[in-house]
Amino acid sequence: MRPMLLGEMTPETLMEELGTSPSKALAARRLAQLGMPTRKSEAYRYFDIEPLMAHDWEILRNEASAEIAESEEQIVITDGRVTALPKGVEVQVGCSDAIDLDGNHFDPLYYLGHLLSPEVISIRFKEDAKVTLVHRFTQPGKLLAYRTAIYLDANTHVQIDERFEGEQACGALILSGSDVFISRDATLTLIKDETLKEGDYVPILSHRIKVDSQALCRLHSFDFGAGSGLQLIRVQLHEHARIDADHLLYATDHARRGTVSQIVHIGQSSVSNQRAKNILAEKARGIFDALIKVEHTGKYTKAHQNSKAILLNDGAYMASKPQLEIYIDDLEASHGSTTGQLDEAQLFYLRSRGIAKEEARKMLILAFANELIDALEDERMRERLHASFETAYWGVTNVTCMETCHGCEDLAAGTAAK
Amino acid sequence: MSNVVMEIENLHARIGAKEILKGLNLQLEEGKVHAIMGPNGAGKSTLSKAITGHYDVEVTEGAIRYKGQEIVDWEPEDRALEGIFLSFQNPVEIPGVNNAYFLRTAVNAKRKHQGLEELNAAEFLREMKALVQELGMKPEMINRSLNEGFSGGEKKRNEILQMMMLQPDLIILDEIDSGLDIDALRAVSEGINKMKDGKRSFLVITHYSRILDYIEPDYIHVLKDGKIIKTAGPELVAELEEKGYGAIEEA
Repeated sequence: MRPMLLGEMTPETLMEELGTSPSKALAARRLAQLGMPTRKSEAYRYFDIEPLMAHDWEILRNEASAEIAESEEQIVITDGRVTALPKGVEVQVGCSDAIDLDGNHFDPLYYLGHLLSPEVISIRFKEDAKVTLVHRFTQPGKLLAYRTAIYLDANTHVQIDERFEGEQACGALILSGSDVFISRDATLTLIKDETLKEGDYVPILSHRIKVDSQALCRLHSFDFGAGSGLQLIRVQLHEHARIDADHLLYATDHARRGTVSQIVHIGQSSVSNQRAKNILAEKARGIFDALIKVEHTGKYTKAHQNSKAILLNDGAYMASKPQLEIYIDDLEASHGSTTGQLDEAQLFYLRSRGIAKEEARKMLILAFANELIDALEDERMRERLHASFETAYWGVTNVTCMETCHGCEDLAAGTAAK
Repeated sequence: MSNVVMEIENLHARIGAKEILKGLNLQLEEGKVHAIMGPNGAGKSTLSKAITGHYDVEVTEGAIRYKGQEIVDWEPEDRALEGIFLSFQNPVEIPGVNNAYFLRTAVNAKRKHQGLEELNAAEFLREMKALVQELGMKPEMINRSLNEGFSGGEKKRNEILQMMMLQPDLIILDEIDSGLDIDALRAVSEGINKMKDGKRSFLVITHYSRILDYIEPDYIHVLKDGKIIKTAGPELVAELEEKGYGAIEEA
């Protein structure tokens, strides 16, 4: 299948061609309206989408797995099928083809993903939980489309540690993402950690996050490495809802990585705080194309957005486009973007204390990244992400507790007491 | 005369297109306190930058010999590892770099350079905490980001803390008294005086004589328009106080 050919079809032809159920008529209609993405599409302007859309893909279709293993605290989705579930955690996982689609998503591939997914993997949290969600890809060179839906019941507090494993899936195209429904007074902390190598699979992860009244979403995305991938996120904030979205990107070689997002303030007194930090090396291109939109109904909104980028080489490039679209007067909003190199005064200060240039550069790059890693409340996650970043940056990690915690004071006190 | 630890000969240096140092000559003796005094714009900070290898300063002529070696082409870290320390006039803030982690890296870089075993976290923190207490610093500064949000006095104390941990051989104090209240000035001066061991040399750069009440100099050098125009003993301070720098030029 060549995705680009689908862009010229009517909704009816699309559904017939893809063999989808009538419940997905909305997705077909929206895809027909938006057309397939090209390099002229706003959301994909800085991402090399055309070769992916022109490629003749074999679509990976898996039979439902007969057995689902039990795991400690991991939900494992292998090639679009659930293969492991945590024991003892109050999580309901099922499959369904009926889902409340976002009829206003800006990304055509959100709809294509839904049309190509035979069913949606639905994960419901009825109680507080901490789980790891592993996406595992094993088939090289194919197109894999699957969708997940995450539901948080009212008043639940959930942390999802989302990881990606796909060393065997070189050259695959992954069209995936989540529809996330955070009910009233619930809190979701979603931590995404994805490191890609040159030639790995290409993930295009298109999300929709609906944050109900007084609910909170903390989104932390960590995208590292040399491959290409894009996350496209549309967030709807209802009354007194809040999202804190942090994106840390370290891209190298010929990577094309980044975030395209739309945060829409629908309810009054809703809050969004979006921060992107981008470290770009070699010929990598970073993308931060983010719109915050405040509707007429979004009075007393607070909306803040900021992107900072460090270019480590002359060939590195940052496409940063923070935008505000505001239809009311009563609000507090800001946005900004800076792109530069490492601060020479800081570098000199460290070197003037005998720290070698390369080590000083490392310290400053870590410091730049640290702000977003240290924003993680979970100390174990902080340490893991420090290690993940260092591994992506240097190939090894030598994170010491001094860099990540304050436990050494106790250690020193303990030693002194002996 | 004592051994010369640093000899600066006919030093010409510029920042951008502007020549700041115009044939400066200076000798710093081992174990002595040298004070450089001079009006604004005379080139005092440029001199400290030239000695430490700051990227702003280009040395166009002359020599800086430290312990007998020409160091103009040395990297800043190599100068530091060999024992040159600059206490900055305005220490830069580095958010995200933990103060303890930074200082331990610096201390261990020097120990490695000297062929000594690196300090482990506990040993290092024990030593650092003792000095933090001695300097009257708040203990939480150990784990804060380097200089971030520090007051002027806290930044200067942090410079002295680094100096005491790194045990350098030549200490350049650039306007160490600026922005300090009396208590901070006393604490900082006590820290500096404790470092005097008869071997270590000091170059105190200052506008005003106040700091010299606390750190007694052996020599006073007057720097004006990029050159040392007079060198004398501590008695010169009183003359400068009385007559100002203009009179020295006339003399």
